[in-house]
Amino acid sequence: MEQALVIAAALLQGLGMLAVAPLLRGLIKKMKAALQTRQGPPLLQVYYDLAKLLRKEPVRSETASWVYVAGPRLYFAAGLAATTLVPVLVAAAPLETAGGVIGLVGILALGRFALATAALDTGSPFGGMGGSREMTIAALAEPALMLGLFTAALASGSLNLGAVVRHSLELGNSFHPSDVFALAGLFVVLIAETGRIPVDNPATHLELTMIHEAMVLEYAGPDLALVEWASAVKELLYITLLIDLFIPVGIASAIAPGPLAVAAGAWAAKVFVFAVVITLVESTNAKLRLFRVPELVAVALGLGFLALAIRFL
Amino acid sequence: MFVPAEDFVLFALGVHGIVIAATLVLARRPSACGAVAFLGAAVAVVFTTATATAVLTSSAPVGGILFTHAASGVVLDYLVTPLSAWFLVIVGVVSIPVAVYSIGYLPHTVPPSRIAAVGATFNVLLATVELVLVANNVIGFLFAWELMTLATAALVATEHEAGVSRRAAYLYLVMSHVGTGALVAGFFTLSSFARSLSFADIFTGAVVSDPLRHILFVLFLGGFGVKAGIVPFHVWLPEAHPAAPSSISALMSAVLIKAGVYGLFRVCAFGLGTPHMNWGLLCMGLGALSAILGVLYALAQRDVKRLLAYSTIENSGIILLGLGAGMVMIANGQNSFAVVAVAASLYHALNHAAFKGLLFLGAGGVVMATGTRRIEEFGGLVRRMPFSAFLFVIGALAISSIPPFNGFASEWLTLQALLLGFESVPGLVRVNFPVAGALLALTSALAAACFVKAFGITFLALPRSRAAVEAHEIPNLMLLPQAFLASVCLALGLVPGLVLSVAGAVTASLPGLSSSASVALGGLGLRTGPDIAATVIPSALGLTVLAAVAIAVAVVGVFRLGRIVRRVPTWGCGGALTPVTEYTGTAFSKPLLMIFRAVYRPTREVEALAEVSPYFPQEVRYRVEIEATFERYLYRPLTRAVIEVAERMKVLQAGSLHAYLGYVLVLGLILLIWLGGR
Repeated sequence: MEQALVIAAALLQGLGMLAVAPLLRGLIKKMKAALQTRQGPPLLQVYYDLAKLLRKEPVRSETASWVYVAGPRLYFAAGLAATTLVPVLVAAAPLETAGGVIGLVGILALGRFALATAALDTGSPFGGMGGSREMTIAALAEPALMLGLFTAALASGSLNLGAVVRHSLELGNSFHPSDVFALAGLFVVLIAETGRIPVDNPATHLELTMIHEAMVLEYAGPDLALVEWASAVKELLYITLLIDLFIPVGIASAIAPGPLAVAAGAWAAKVFVFAVVITLVESTNAKLRLFRVPELVAVALGLGFLALAIRFL
Repeated sequence: MFVPAEDFVLFALGVHGIVIAATLVLARRPSACGAVAFLGAAVAVVFTTATATAVLTSSAPVGGILFTHAASGVVLDYLVTPLSAWFLVIVGVVSIPVAVYSIGYLPHTVPPSRIAAVGATFNVLLATVELVLVANNVIGFLFAWELMTLATAALVATEHEAGVSRRAAYLYLVMSHVGTGALVAGFFTLSSFARSLSFADIFTGAVVSDPLRHILFVLFLGGFGVKAGIVPFHVWLPEAHPAAPSSISALMSAVLIKAGVYGLFRVCAFGLGTPHMNWGLLCMGLGALSAILGVLYALAQRDVKRLLAYSTIENSGIILLGLGAGMVMIANGQNSFAVVAVAASLYHALNHAAFKGLLFLGAGGVVMATGTRRIEEFGGLVRRMPFSAFLFVIGALAISSIPPFNGFASEWLTLQALLLGFESVPGLVRVNFPVAGALLALTSALAAACFVKAFGITFLALPRSRAAVEAHEIPNLMLLPQAFLASVCLALGLVPGLVLSVAGAVTASLPGLSSSASVALGGLGLRTGPDIAATVIPSALGLTVLAAVAIAVAVVGVFRLGRIVRRVPTWGCGGALTPVTEYTGTAFSKPLLMIFRAVYRPTREVEALAEVSPYFPQEVRYRVEIEATFERYLYRPLTRAVIEVAERMKVLQAGSLHAYLGYVLVLGLILLIWLGGR
């Protein structure tokens, strides 16, 4: 019975995140357009695009093997599976014991590995270029991410996100000055991992600057839909991760209609704030050269150390 | 049976002996002697593994007498402690599949006349590794250690027509013997203080006092560090491991390295008394350095076996990092935390053996099928060698610490240990732990990049050479051992709790580690707490991903409505798609090469050949070399100094008999005066 409940919760949360993730992308696009005094695409355009791509004829390269087919499916699956490891509306992740935040990082690494490998499968130089750059940036972001997670885990005494959230709910006002630095550091990681300006430009198809887009350049139709959808889920996931770590206030501590509604509202509001910040960052910055990205990541690493030092030394 | 039911050590050594004899007798019939040598070796290892399993399950060491020499009073005894048993299991997990693989593999790479020699040496090597692990006294240990070194050197020089192999074997011998020298000094110092040669007497921890203890620690760390491939003693490893036939490389990387690691455990961490905190910090530092430099150099390699060899340095570093963290915690009296760190280190040693064995065997298959070790000449092998590709990707996922494979579980545990280290250690020293954690995270992410390259460039896209076009799948006899190791990688990842409860028997037997702490969460999961509460159940993660894949397939299937996939050529940027336009391995690792150029110190050469105008080059040549930092700045001055001293000493060696008699006279006088003075 309890297991069935856990599975149902995991499924519900996963599918829920799947359903709302494209909206976040649409929202950011719309807000970006507004800042550029354009009208921009409709809010639901990302959904239309996904539906269109899914209905298209699947086209694949002659050179590609099963690895190419497995890539988007595993990438999508990794993003979806990872959503069951974060608390969204309730102060517990559906599959909390299955793996805390390290498990989450591991699963996302699986998706990245699958897609970067698949990118090499068609023989197109773009795939290799994108895969190489994606793995490079992921590797550079990893220490900053781990440092941020270390600080959070030491502060709350757990690496399981549900426990982290419950800990800060117990404390009531859990704000600590070091959080500012830790949040800033992890926000840079978010930018790097989700391929946003100034690290990567999701809207570009200029060959020399593409990272993620180069990696998936050969994909079309349903395969591409999976990749796009999973990227949206991953973005929402990282935002939710930061919310859980730093501003979990409002999250429901019990499953009841009232608190859940409040939690949903609070979560949506917080995600909106993040979306606004991402929009502002994207609109006011230019994309960095690839070889300047290490400097940005070094800043994140420095912020992480600063947070750790302020908190514990 | 003529031996006690649970103690097959002597029996196994006897089997090795008989097999060696049989192999040499059958030397003229290569196919028969190959089968005898390798199957015999596998049988012997089955028996030692059985003994080891019995010791691990009962936690009761078994031992006996190996050899007694009444006249000199020398008694060589052995004792299978839980720690020895753990490493014997590592030997078993890898060497049985390696032996089976060798039956199929060696006839293709080694001239028939040499199979008997390789087979016999293989048995000598395994027997000596087993002896090293179970020896319970100084003489037996050093004897086995030296024989192990010689057997390995012989195997490295299997293809001794090639100057590279000879050089590699020579370098290995020199480095190993410097290491053995340090060990001899260390062991005999301990023995002379304890007035005993038995391990039971010299590893009590109370034998020597502090200033000398530090010196001994450094001696042993250096001595075992050479074998374990720890930076800066690693320079022999990327030369020697690739030079040997691939199945031997697998054995060297997966098993022989672990002999050094065993020494680090047995002596450095748990043989010299309660470790000093600085020892632990030194181990952590060298471990982190090995991990990060190992993976960075691995990334830059263009030879698939060298890439794997450098990655071995990385994993040795991770093992040492965990052990060092444990030592720091023991030094601070945090014994229940130290259990986590030491268990993580043991777990990673086992895991590394499984996935590195698998990857080396896979690389061996590719090298056999294509006749080259250069990654840039592979490509497209996934169609020609589908099973090899599938098994290689499992190894690649495991080594990149991706769940639910085994590398993930031990990395998870190592990270937990580092977190606990920060909790448990007072003062500024604890800053080392998060730094190590960040470096470990960087290492595993770089390892993922490295193995995306190794797998992708080798197996995917279009074949890059004639050899790759003509490659064929390797025989089943060589695929089955890989399939076995791949399932071990998966199994060890799925049941971390079970593995850790077995490792608990090892940690409980080590001095200074409290036996009550357990990190097993049932058979399937791991947990730490209560200070830093964390759990992981890799199988649940794996199942979730599988369920999510099913959802992905369903989503695509619902919309597709039976439409078939259209196959079209890859867009070749306006031209024809040829292997020349593909992304190369060098290009793949270029961004990281540029970012970490302070480490690599690359020298690049770009040459454009243009006839009409420099803007329309006919041909562009690109060459990049990374600097061998340690060879150049550490070993070259060192060897130069040694040679210089030798040159000076040449004066003494005048070649005149009178001079030599004079030396004897002077020595005799000095001795007389010295002894007379006492």
